[in-house]
Amino acid sequence: MRALFGSLLAAAFTLVADAASAHPHVWITATSELLYAEDGSVTGVRHAWTFDDMFSAYAVQGLEAKTKGAYTREELGPLAQTNVESLKEYAYFTFAKADGKKERFQEPIDYFLDYKDTVLTLHFTLPLKDPVKPRQLVLEVFDRSFFIDFQMAKNNPVKLVGAPSACQMKLDRPSDGTATAQKLNEQTFTDGPNANFGMMFANKITVDCP
Amino acid sequence: MKPHRPPLGRGLLACAAALLVIGVTDAALHDLLAQNPFGAPKLAPAAEPEASSLVGWLLAKQSEFYRQMSSTIRAAKSDGSAVWTLLFISFAYGIFHAAGPGHGKAVIASYLVANRETARRGIALSFASALMQSLVAILIVGISAWILNATARTMCKAEGAIEIASYGLIALFGLRLVWAKGLTFVRALQAAQPMPAVAGVAHHHHDHSHHHDAQDHHHDQAHAHRHPGHDHVHDEHRGHSHGPTPSELAGPGGWRRGIAAILTVGIRPCSGAILVLVFALAQGLVWAGIAATFLMGLGTAITVAAIAVLAVSAKGVAGRLSGAGDGGGALFMRGIEFGAAALVLLFGAGLLFGYIAAERTTCF
Repeated sequence: MRALFGSLLAAAFTLVADAASAHPHVWITATSELLYAEDGSVTGVRHAWTFDDMFSAYAVQGLEAKTKGAYTREELGPLAQTNVESLKEYAYFTFAKADGKKERFQEPIDYFLDYKDTVLTLHFTLPLKDPVKPRQLVLEVFDRSFFIDFQMAKNNPVKLVGAPSACQMKLDRPSDGTATAQKLNEQTFTDGPNANFGMMFANKITVDCP
Repeated sequence: MKPHRPPLGRGLLACAAALLVIGVTDAALHDLLAQNPFGAPKLAPAAEPEASSLVGWLLAKQSEFYRQMSSTIRAAKSDGSAVWTLLFISFAYGIFHAAGPGHGKAVIASYLVANRETARRGIALSFASALMQSLVAILIVGISAWILNATARTMCKAEGAIEIASYGLIALFGLRLVWAKGLTFVRALQAAQPMPAVAGVAHHHHDHSHHHDAQDHHHDQAHAHRHPGHDHVHDEHRGHSHGPTPSELAGPGGWRRGIAAILTVGIRPCSGAILVLVFALAQGLVWAGIAATFLMGLGTAITVAAIAVLAVSAKGVAGRLSGAGDGGGALFMRGIEFGAAALVLLFGAGLLFGYIAAERTTCF
């Protein structure tokens, strides 16, 4: 019986290691702006995602440019289009909750790519389906499969644009486990085995407006 | 129908065992997640994430080596000696990365256990499949990026298609193993029953899976010239059944099976290798990229081979502990083989239907 248990464990470990040790192949340094309307409601999010140079080189592979090694916004237009279209499948890696209620986003607008210092930055705005005015807004940016590693920029990672002055913003970075421990309880056990694997790598932006 | 009941009961037991595996997997996964250095609550948030678990450590190492690759390739443009650093990093990355998904480690280990393969063959399979993975990555990038100058989008789509095909192949491969091992397991179950029950089943119910039952005397070519006293019927009457002999495994059919395993595992290149190749190409250092890819493959092969040897030895130990010579032990071993075959199938199906989100190709 002990042998049986041992083999079961070994088999289980093989599978587990397979599922759990995925590691990122794309690194994104993100800055996000939360957009507010005049009445103090949140209307959307504007992201600027800078890719690592390996992925940037991969992404521009095969693209035509007038000047070699320099790509204009126009030349990158079709790629930006592809980006935002493909991101839809991943819900733009952006998850919003207003007072605990999940909010949905519309298709991105005002999107473009720029290429500077051999890296690409994708800019796009995600308007909320319905603007909300919650006491607490939680915005998370992460890839649940952890193929992409999202890191909020070191300097000015989050900006509140036009927010009521009383609003307080807090950013939990993935390496700060406090937010994660709570999330693991909340959702990890209700979904598929590793549906929320990337959860612990989530960047969590919390805005409290009393 | 009474004689049928014991096998059914045992079948249910086997199902329960399979469920247990899934349960343990699930639980262990959450354990690992909870222990992950990036997720674990920490006293000093400012400190570097510490690798508190093996998986966490592997994860951190892989990322570290992987991230060093792009800067090393850049450096190699101006400084030729950086190529050696690149090769070392690629090799190290391969070793660590193979502990992760996408390298058929689980498939190869399960296949070896299911098929009673030797450790030596495990090593050969590991190296052959890793070599094929490297070649496929080089072919994809070579043809699409270098020759056709295709865009990343096209390349990524090709990669995605290969990925789906490889998952399908794993599932098919698993299905075939489950079929073959299931038959053997059912035979072992029947052999393990008390004699009268075996007789009852054999004489009155012509279940299609009873290839060796006493009435039929259906022998393979290989058994045709045996003396009557030495065939499988005799085994069953003694209460256990033998697997194929080593000479049967080493035959040409054995290698054909091995090639199926190599193709199944090797067809899917690692996304990392493709990114590195394209990056090297963009830097005008395509040969450095190719060399790096092969070294990644070599590193991968070493880890997969180690795991394969471990799996084969673990099974050997389990066999000795359970006393594979007697009926129960043989049944136990056939059960493990069937379980391993089922794992390959589950793994393939899981990947195919997105239940297991392994190293997925993200095109965007």
